Amino acid sequence: MLRRLLTVYGLMFFVFVYAPIFLMVVYSFNANTLNMMIWSGFTLDWYRQIFGFETSITDSTTYVDSSAQLYAAIRTSLTVAFSTSILSTVFGTALALAVARYRFRLAGIYRTLLMVPMIMPDIVLGIALLIFFISIGMNLSIMTIIIGQSTFLISYVFVTVSARLAEFDTSVEEASADLGATPAQTFRKVTLPGIAPGILGGWLLAFIISMDDLVITYFIAGTGNTTLPIHIWGMLRRGIKPEINAIATLMLLFTLVIAGVGLYLRSRRQK
Amino acid sequence: MSLTRRKLLHLLGLLGAPTVFLLIFFFGPLVIMLVYSFLTPGIYGGVDWIFSHLNYGRILGWADTRYEKFDPVYLAIFLRSLRLATLTVATSLIVSYPAAFWISRMRPGRRDFAIFLVTLPFFVSLIVRLFAWVLILRPTGFLNQGLMGIGLTSEPIEFLYTDFAVVLGMTYVFIPFMFLPLYSSIEKLDMAQLEASSDLGATRLQTFRKVVLPATMPGIIGGSIITFIPALGNFIVPSVLGGAKVLMIGNLIEQQFLSARNWPFGSALAMMVMTAVLVLLIVQLRLTRRGEHA
Repeated sequence: MLRRLLTVYGLMFFVFVYAPIFLMVVYSFNANTLNMMIWSGFTLDWYRQIFGFETSITDSTTYVDSSAQLYAAIRTSLTVAFSTSILSTVFGTALALAVARYRFRLAGIYRTLLMVPMIMPDIVLGIALLIFFISIGMNLSIMTIIIGQSTFLISYVFVTVSARLAEFDTSVEEASADLGATPAQTFRKVTLPGIAPGILGGWLLAFIISMDDLVITYFIAGTGNTTLPIHIWGMLRRGIKPEINAIATLMLLFTLVIAGVGLYLRSRRQK
Repeated sequence: MSLTRRKLLHLLGLLGAPTVFLLIFFFGPLVIMLVYSFLTPGIYGGVDWIFSHLNYGRILGWADTRYEKFDPVYLAIFLRSLRLATLTVATSLIVSYPAAFWISRMRPGRRDFAIFLVTLPFFVSLIVRLFAWVLILRPTGFLNQGLMGIGLTSEPIEFLYTDFAVVLGMTYVFIPFMFLPLYSSIEKLDMAQLEASSDLGATRLQTFRKVVLPATMPGIIGGSIITFIPALGNFIVPSVLGGAKVLMIGNLIEQQFLSARNWPFGSALAMMVMTAVLVLLIVQLRLTRRGEHA
């Protein structure tokens, strides 16, 4: 009896988690241009519009939202996400290696302090960065977004790579050294391949979080550097339009592919 | 000697750049924000480098009567944020705890897949997930259509722009934050202890209160804290689902920076959030320390 109740509750939990996303995907194919909440048939027009094809709805001015702006936002987001994730992966991995492989007095302090950027409320970090950039006279640009996002993404990479380093068998490294490999050789041939899944995982995580960051980017982007989340944020503020469903569905697909790749890599690692 | 020196060089090579980067771009901004919260706002939106405690006075109850007025509304908004964040934590607990329990009792393969399904939405854009709730809660949304369809209400109920919508939205977006710590402590539960408890004649409720709850307390505390922190300073969820009716401290901070252009006051408000977070983390540290000693 109790067990059955728990099962019902558990299934309801998954309905709660997935129903909103599911509804959004379904209604991105809704042909109704007047009332987006009432189903009136299947269409791909919203997707066609995003990709710039001819549609039956482009004439109706109510729904036109230039796809050029959308493309620009995607381009900015990708540029930022690539730069940020690479910068934070290099820094985060270096810190993880230092803390895990060298016994030095500050290691514990590093470990604690590197948790701080992850628990810092994002709005606090966002405005602190804004004040900082303005007071040292740095113009808000893509550069400030990349720097700003890296300050907390380094911590995510650090944690991911550290976890991998903790599982990694140090005796293999010792064996390599005993067999006459130089430290550089050991690092290149043994350590790096061993922790590569962790580094890749950290990079993917940083990439996804960077693509999705709204709050911190919102404060330090300045004008003219619209990332994808900020673009959608603006669309939402101007009113709810059906093509947001389609954009959101495409973003969902994109993150699912990346998360899928990440999980595939993890399952390969566990073998 | 040369070896250790080389090691030291390696260490510095690894630590140097990221340390300098974080000192300048992470801790630097926080220090400047703290300084700003004690400065006087300039007339044209900048700051004057004159010490002032009135930014805090406006929030907490003292002021000089000429420029900066004390207004209880700021404190009220801060308290509302604390209340909504607490409600979010409570709702997340009620939603996630039984589900985590259920999943922890599954077969291993199915269990891993279930956990994957819980964490997956975390990778879906936050703004997208919130938008989905707008579709559900609007006057013409799915919830109202459903309620009117079964005749529970004849007119659409305004769900959007209420405390309810904001708490629901925050619960929804922070589910993985609550679920994962809960799950990891429930997974460690010793089933033999539960059986022993019921063999000794304890009712299910007694077993839950005396065995399950204390054993999973670390997960409850951990999940509550990492849900509370982002909920407290949130301004995205209240903006999308709360509109102008449900202001939280995050909205207030955003206004000070992007429309009112009173940066010192905005910094003081942000310091209030920071202080609340710090107090919470100290309490957690105390609680876990005590747990370890017991």
